[in-house]
Amino acid sequence: MYQYDVIDREFLTDRSNEFRHQVTRRLAGELTEDQFKPLRLMNGLYLQLHAYMLRVAIPYGSLNSRQARRLAWVARTYDKGYGHMTTRQNIQFNWIKLKDAPDILDALAEVDLHAIQTSGNCIRNTTADPYAGATAEEIDDPRVWSEVIRQWSTLHPEFSYLPRKFKIAITGALTDRAAVKVHDIGLILRRARDGSLGFEVIVGGGQGRTPYVGPTIKQHLPASSLLSYLEAVLRVYNRHGRRDNIYKARIKILVAALGADEFGRQVEEEWAKIDQGRADLGDLELARIRGAFAQTPFEALPARSEAFEAAKAASPALARFARNNVKAHKKPGYAIVEVSLKAVGQTPGDATADQLDVAADLAERYSLDDLRVTHAQNLVLPHVKLDDLPAVHAALEAAGLATPNIDLISDIIACPGLDYCALANARAIPIAQDIAKTFADPDRAEKIGELKIKISGCINACGHHHVAHIGILGVDKKGEEFYQLSLGGSGAEDASIGKILGPALAADRVAPAIDTLVDTYLAARQGEERFLDTYRRVGLEPFKEAVYAQAD
Amino acid sequence: MKAVTANRLIDGEVVFWKDGAWVDGFGDAQLFDDEQGEQVEAAVAAGKAAPTVIVDPYPIDLITVEGLGLAPVSYRERIRALGPTNELLHGKQAEGGAVVEAIRHASGAARSTGRVDLIRRK
Repeated sequence: MYQYDVIDREFLTDRSNEFRHQVTRRLAGELTEDQFKPLRLMNGLYLQLHAYMLRVAIPYGSLNSRQARRLAWVARTYDKGYGHMTTRQNIQFNWIKLKDAPDILDALAEVDLHAIQTSGNCIRNTTADPYAGATAEEIDDPRVWSEVIRQWSTLHPEFSYLPRKFKIAITGALTDRAAVKVHDIGLILRRARDGSLGFEVIVGGGQGRTPYVGPTIKQHLPASSLLSYLEAVLRVYNRHGRRDNIYKARIKILVAALGADEFGRQVEEEWAKIDQGRADLGDLELARIRGAFAQTPFEALPARSEAFEAAKAASPALARFARNNVKAHKKPGYAIVEVSLKAVGQTPGDATADQLDVAADLAERYSLDDLRVTHAQNLVLPHVKLDDLPAVHAALEAAGLATPNIDLISDIIACPGLDYCALANARAIPIAQDIAKTFADPDRAEKIGELKIKISGCINACGHHHVAHIGILGVDKKGEEFYQLSLGGSGAEDASIGKILGPALAADRVAPAIDTLVDTYLAARQGEERFLDTYRRVGLEPFKEAVYAQAD
Repeated sequence: MKAVTANRLIDGEVVFWKDGAWVDGFGDAQLFDDEQGEQVEAAVAAGKAAPTVIVDPYPIDLITVEGLGLAPVSYRERIRALGPTNELLHGKQAEGGAVVEAIRHASGAARSTGRVDLIRRK
């Protein structure tokens, strides 16, 4: 993984000192709240319902064990012993005190972590495929390019005050685990016919109150021109984005207003004016960054592990875990292990300090000191030897981390909702817990197969409800918490925006409605169809009838 | 009935106005009846005049919970007065007692009227 150098470390120390000074001035009354708020937001510090919330960046969702242990220590020392993984592969702490925030940033800086650009109208933490460097499907390692973008975009003077926040996601694999089509910019690494490396550039996707699947504005951008092209896209947006209306300020609105062709043309025009020799990264610097990700010391192992096969045959629990949470690795004898943070009764995406420590220990001992956070609010041990899977599974089980439900119905994405968030209209967590309880039978969950439920407590859509197979949006209906269901969304390579099923339902009717939707799907399912496939074949009507007929 | 609430600057804690000071518990909050609009405004003004102590003071509407006591009308304000519903030992609700029970049993939420000046123009 990328190692910070002296310059990076000095920068973080300076930044932390600067924030300490700003907090001191705020507490002394030298800064008003209006003056201070943008400063704290630029350091990831929000004031929520019960306390301050600190959002710590996990660049492209990648952590080493030392960093994971430090996050656990922060949770234990300054919070109430837990942290929440977000849909941007970050971690949030819910119970932070303003007076402690500078000490926390110092402690994070010691392990090369920070909260810079986790808020504000700037280029946010770039997200990437959590299987980066581990999956055989990969054309190139997206972490290399995410790190390039991290360095380029951090405190970029031209792009620190954009019309609105700006989110970039990258995948190096055709299977999209980074939701690239619903980001401000989505990048898909591709090889041209001549073998040259490039990006398909998607611009203007997004969720929120105006969801779009982004259009492709460039089929094949030579990889070496990435930064100059991004500069051109950002410059067009910075110039023409709507600053007059916060609801129309994202790039998706501009792209939709101009049309993808016209937006693309303006970007090309801007790009032609840029001196690429200045703007793009030199080969030497790219090679330096690439080198940081190329040193994974894999061993030569047989493709089949007798120890794992024997343990699996003897343990139905391990067999189930292997079916759902263990994914193919590019190297023989290794596997990618998904660690679910979606046990029945658990808050989706929450990990206790003890669980973070266990994950850190396992990453250090069994996964080449590498731990990932996924946008689906789970963790990944990307490089586990097949021989070690029984031991890893046992350790996860002991820590309550072995729930075998990845991409199944109880693997629900949920934002913090009205339990914590000052913007929310309704709670998301208890709805997720209700559904997980309804589908607690693991045999039934496996029979249902891949089904992605995502819940947001308001239209800002942090819970990605627009791109869920079954999306749930909390709304305020005459002062009560109500939930609007939508079907048929996808945040993956087959991206689509879900369609609203019908009138919103009361909280206690959501889990039963999901049950009805699932029964309708199972009755209509052909062959190995997923819920999404059946929905796309039969349409909304049968599902609508089933849910609302029952209500009459 | 109304009360006045805010978050404390130094730690973000939810606080309530009581006789010239800011207290942690909803049960200790000063209550204003409908004739005391001026006193509500004075409490909010006192909060705004103390920007190094609290952030964003505003009045909230209260309702009577049959036989139990008072609670904020809005769900949002009830969660602020209690703590998150997914972690029942976190936040003010950890202390338990009659005030917490009253808020937990309140119904008839109305977020949009719970915070009197919620809708603010940018």
